[in-house]
Amino acid sequence: MICSNVDLKAYVLGEVPESERGAVAAHVHECANCGEELERLNLTHLALVSLRDEEVPRRIAFVSDKVFEPRWWQRIWQSGPVMGFASAAVLACAILAHGVLAQGTGRAAPPQPTSVDTAAVERRVSAEVNERLNAAVSRAVARAVSDSEARQQQQTLALLAAAERKYDFQRKADLAAVASNLDIIRKEQTRMFMASNGLEMRP
Amino acid sequence: MIFREVEDRDLIAKARRGDVDAYSILVSRWEKRIFNYLLRLVGNREEAMDLSQDVFLKAWQNLKKLEDAGRFSSWLFRIAHNEAFSLLRKNRPEVELSGDPTVADRSVRLFPVELSLAVERALNRLSDDQREAVLLKVYQGFKFEEMAEILGCPVSTIKSRVYAALDLLKDALAPVGARGVQ
Repeated sequence: MICSNVDLKAYVLGEVPESERGAVAAHVHECANCGEELERLNLTHLALVSLRDEEVPRRIAFVSDKVFEPRWWQRIWQSGPVMGFASAAVLACAILAHGVLAQGTGRAAPPQPTSVDTAAVERRVSAEVNERLNAAVSRAVARAVSDSEARQQQQTLALLAAAERKYDFQRKADLAAVASNLDIIRKEQTRMFMASNGLEMRP
Repeated sequence: MIFREVEDRDLIAKARRGDVDAYSILVSRWEKRIFNYLLRLVGNREEAMDLSQDVFLKAWQNLKKLEDAGRFSSWLFRIAHNEAFSLLRKNRPEVELSGDPTVADRSVRLFPVELSLAVERALNRLSDDQREAVLLKVYQGFKFEEMAEILGCPVSTIKSRVYAALDLLKDALAPVGARGVQ
């Protein structure tokens, strides 16, 4: 019967705080029943941790899946130059719009809100921004596609070169093996010829 | 461990911004632990592999919902737990998953070593809940509080599952352990 004031399972499982572990160890040293129970628990724990982890049979293979590709807005968002250009375009349009508004109303005169068609200006600004943004996105996409194609081409070339090296090495190894075998056969033939003619081979 | 956590945080931050390469590194750091946890839980390599893929896919899709990057491991194992138990429920709908001590033997044997087989057999005799508690505690090294978070149970329930499992395992393994481990 083990004592109820010590939690031996928590002790074995590392759940007893460092400050209390000494007290449990001291108790186990004194109490034979708890000592035996602790030994059984330790053996069980050792047996459990002896089970080794298996290697993953194959790589988690979805990294190239469509779902992992960034969406169009993520590509734009991550593209610093494009975002910078878009911001500059928006700023330029805002200044332009401000200039148009100021020209329409006159600097000295107080503002005349009814004299400018703000909706038309907004449409123009919006169209200008969209146009420039689309152009920037198209350029970025074209660049990304060409980069990707170049990378693939490089990879293909590297693979071809590696395959060629491998086959070349294999061919040389085969030729060496053939030469070695021929040499052995030649020596064997010579030995048999000498033996049949009662001659001795020089060492 | 601390460095690993710091590096994980960095990778998680990058992955949250859509960096697939960062996530790929994160996957390679965690795939073995997740795979082995699922393997010992469902007992079948192919199913464990499929589940691992699902876990990492779901994690990627929901990475933005992870509020504290420091809790990534608990969060990831929570997803793995949900995936595994969906499969276990589908495969054995008639089995009440909480507390049935008689679980059928798994068809796939893992290691051709006597002790490993004994451990595996002993683990398979536990209920799914008990086995999972042992896997998280002994093999993955989670604290009771973290396990409570992963499994969505009170700490008292977790302790009770681990302790009950340990008593059963002690009866089954202590004699084997005395022969094989020392």
